[in-house]
Amino acid sequence: MFGHLKAKDFVNLMEGIELPAKHRSHLDECGRCRATWQSLESIHAEVSTEVSAMDDEIPEPDWVQFRSSVRDGLLSRSIQRETAVRRWTGWAIRPAMAWALSLLLVVGVTTVAVVWNSTQTVTPSTSIETPVSEPAPETIEAGPERSLFDDLVQLGDDEQQQVQQMLESSLKGPHYR
Amino acid sequence: MERTLTVSIPMAAPGQDPDIELIERYFAGDTAAFDEILIRYERQIYRVCYRFVENREDAMDLAQDVFVKVFEHLPTFRRESTLKTWLYRIAINHCLNHVKKHSQEFVEVTEYTGSIGPTAQAKLEDREQREHFRRLVKRLPPKQKAILELRINEQLSYEEIARISGRSVSTIKASVFFALEKLRKLVRDPSS
Repeated sequence: MFGHLKAKDFVNLMEGIELPAKHRSHLDECGRCRATWQSLESIHAEVSTEVSAMDDEIPEPDWVQFRSSVRDGLLSRSIQRETAVRRWTGWAIRPAMAWALSLLLVVGVTTVAVVWNSTQTVTPSTSIETPVSEPAPETIEAGPERSLFDDLVQLGDDEQQQVQQMLESSLKGPHYR
Repeated sequence: MERTLTVSIPMAAPGQDPDIELIERYFAGDTAAFDEILIRYERQIYRVCYRFVENREDAMDLAQDVFVKVFEHLPTFRRESTLKTWLYRIAINHCLNHVKKHSQEFVEVTEYTGSIGPTAQAKLEDREQREHFRRLVKRLPPKQKAILELRINEQLSYEEIARISGRSVSTIKASVFFALEKLRKLVRDPSS
């Protein structure tokens, strides 16, 4: 079933495009479509007139200045783009540089610490070793032996013999082999 | 003008679109081609922009932005449409975005220009009538208004407008119809 004309049909009609016979006969018969078409045609004519009048009022700019501003705009955009690329590259390099610097710092600090430690261990070793340095053999041997002999002097003959035997047996023991 | 474009484009065949020829000359480093492209389209694009903002300075800024965008993205122009269609598409999208961002300012400008007029009575009436109609046109949805202006002012074909807006010809025709219908209602009853 054929209904009323569609928006597209009215615009075709307005543009002077021939409608199919079926549509044309409907337009002749249908009052509603005819009224729509007539009002549309009049508003279209009004819009065209007003719009062309408006167009005459559009001020003309200085075209030479316009062209140079387009050129400047393009140049500044390309500079911005280059700066952005450089900035981006900078940001890409910066972490690597930071890593390198921190690595250098760590290596440096470690080296300094190692060197400092080695010098620290060398210096006190002389001062520590000096008092302990090789005690005179007589000091070691004479000390306890003298006191032992002192004790032995105070013991009786049997006791002295027992102690001597104990000492001799301990000297002959597996420790000293 | 300094350019660092290294896009290789096949040479223009004889009798091909003159715009393509211009683009190829531009890529080849011919600085005159840049001016020729501008001269060919600057007026049309400026007028499209002017109808959106109704202000010379703003229209110039908009048109300048459009051309900067066009030359910047020229290497990505795939030639599926004509340069003219592509240019109009960029211009319309740029202007619609601008209108969306500054819609409040436009209302103020309209109200301001509406109060200015020549002293002569006849001219004043004529001017007021025109201003009134202009205000009605401005009340159309921006996309409908843009389509109507491309058709009536720029006299672009429906096929061209369809390519610019990325819609079907039927949709464009329907948009023109509904824009005119809305205008008709507004003329009868401006408060509607």
